[in-house]
Amino acid sequence: MYRRIPLIVCFIFGAFMLIQFFVPHRVSTEFYEMTLEWAQIIYAFALLVGALMLMKHHAVNATRKSSDDRPFSIIVIAGIATMCIAGLIWGHGEGTVFNWFFQNVQAPMQSTMFSLLAFFVASAAFRGFRARNTQAIFLLIAATIVMLGRVPIGELISPVIPQVADWILNVPSMAARRGIYIGIALGSIATSLRVILGIERTYLGGS
Amino acid sequence: MAEANGKRFHTRHLIFLLMAIAVVLPLIFKPGLPLRVTKEVQDIYDYIEGLPEESVVIISFDHEASSLPEMVPMAEALLRHCFRKNLKVCGMALLAEGTSVGDANLRRIGAEYNKEYGEDYIFWGFRPQHEVAILALGEDITREFKTDYTGRPISGFPIMQGLRNYQNVAAVISVGDGDIPIYWVNYAQARYGVNIIPAITAVMATTMYPFLQSEQIVGLAAGLKGAAEYEKLLNRTGLATRGMDAQSTAHVLIIVLIAIGNIIMFRQRGGKRS
Repeated sequence: MYRRIPLIVCFIFGAFMLIQFFVPHRVSTEFYEMTLEWAQIIYAFALLVGALMLMKHHAVNATRKSSDDRPFSIIVIAGIATMCIAGLIWGHGEGTVFNWFFQNVQAPMQSTMFSLLAFFVASAAFRGFRARNTQAIFLLIAATIVMLGRVPIGELISPVIPQVADWILNVPSMAARRGIYIGIALGSIATSLRVILGIERTYLGGS
Repeated sequence: MAEANGKRFHTRHLIFLLMAIAVVLPLIFKPGLPLRVTKEVQDIYDYIEGLPEESVVIISFDHEASSLPEMVPMAEALLRHCFRKNLKVCGMALLAEGTSVGDANLRRIGAEYNKEYGEDYIFWGFRPQHEVAILALGEDITREFKTDYTGRPISGFPIMQGLRNYQNVAAVISVGDGDIPIYWVNYAQARYGVNIIPAITAVMATTMYPFLQSEQIVGLAAGLKGAAEYEKLLNRTGLATRGMDAQSTAHVLIIVLIAIGNIIMFRQRGGKRS
């Protein structure tokens, strides 16, 4: 019974969401909108559970004097607490403490981390991007053309480079991407049906 | 071994230094390399240009703070075009970090064009669970967003009069650094037929090309280049145009480094054979 109830709930809601797509009746639409609201409420609670678990994990780490990660855990807890207090007391709109922290601490730090990618990509490309076999040679040529074709200097070198770059993106790259999308779609349909029909039960936890 | 490690250490730091120079010098000297406007960006510009005044456009800030240097110039260019065309702009975010950025962008660019909050533009705020949020907007916007970002009921704002769902929306612009623009296509375009304009990071560009060919998206503005092209169409030099020169030199440096790396490999192979 403990495992049957979630399976029944999943079947009812899964089958309903599937059928309602083809039934534009007022009652069906109303129930559909209500279901969407429930989904968001459940998601919000899942976020809360996630945040609490994160806090618990780092609280345990922070109290262990022997842990090497202790300073990082303290920073995580302090960061979460600061943003929560700032948001709950002074709000989150323009000109608030919460917004100031976001714009002047979080945004620059994250942008800096992302910007460092340029340096690591350059270093990794030098050490790892080698023409070891035929496939690697093709990849190297395509990457070079696309890299040049997507910036103004490519056009300056030759107007053909951007055209070839566009062709690579529009034909071979897109063909591969489309194949992947079709595979994902078929896989999603199969998995969804398995979940709705109760064949796939890993989301319940356990084996 | 220690010597080898030492050499690697020096090479890596030399590469970092070269990259820093390659990025900083063009930003200082501004060579102003010529920029070609691609069809994908031109299509977006033409579509927005062709919209009647007071048409409603939703702009969703679906990105994190890490991609701000790429996303902000894009959002600014598109917002400037919308406000210049006197379109009604409704802002929202499907990632929490896009919320503050979106609100600040809308207010800043809105002020540039003397636009009134609540009348010419509004910021609804953030909604979690993006698939569900996108679907819910197709049914009833005021049910999904009962209040705006500041907590005031949105039904009281003049901009919301007659705005119920996607049927009253001319286009949705998704400024995203991940795959959320794909969800907009899958759920809002495929189910409700609303026009989608993806403004995405360069690395995500290839994910959108299939939708471009199937005409499920209006056009495609990808990366700093997409933003720079849009700035060119607006005749307004901004952050993206200035950044393109730096991106050019950085790309050339990476290509040169790849070439050097391969030359070294072939020389080492030749040495082993002999």
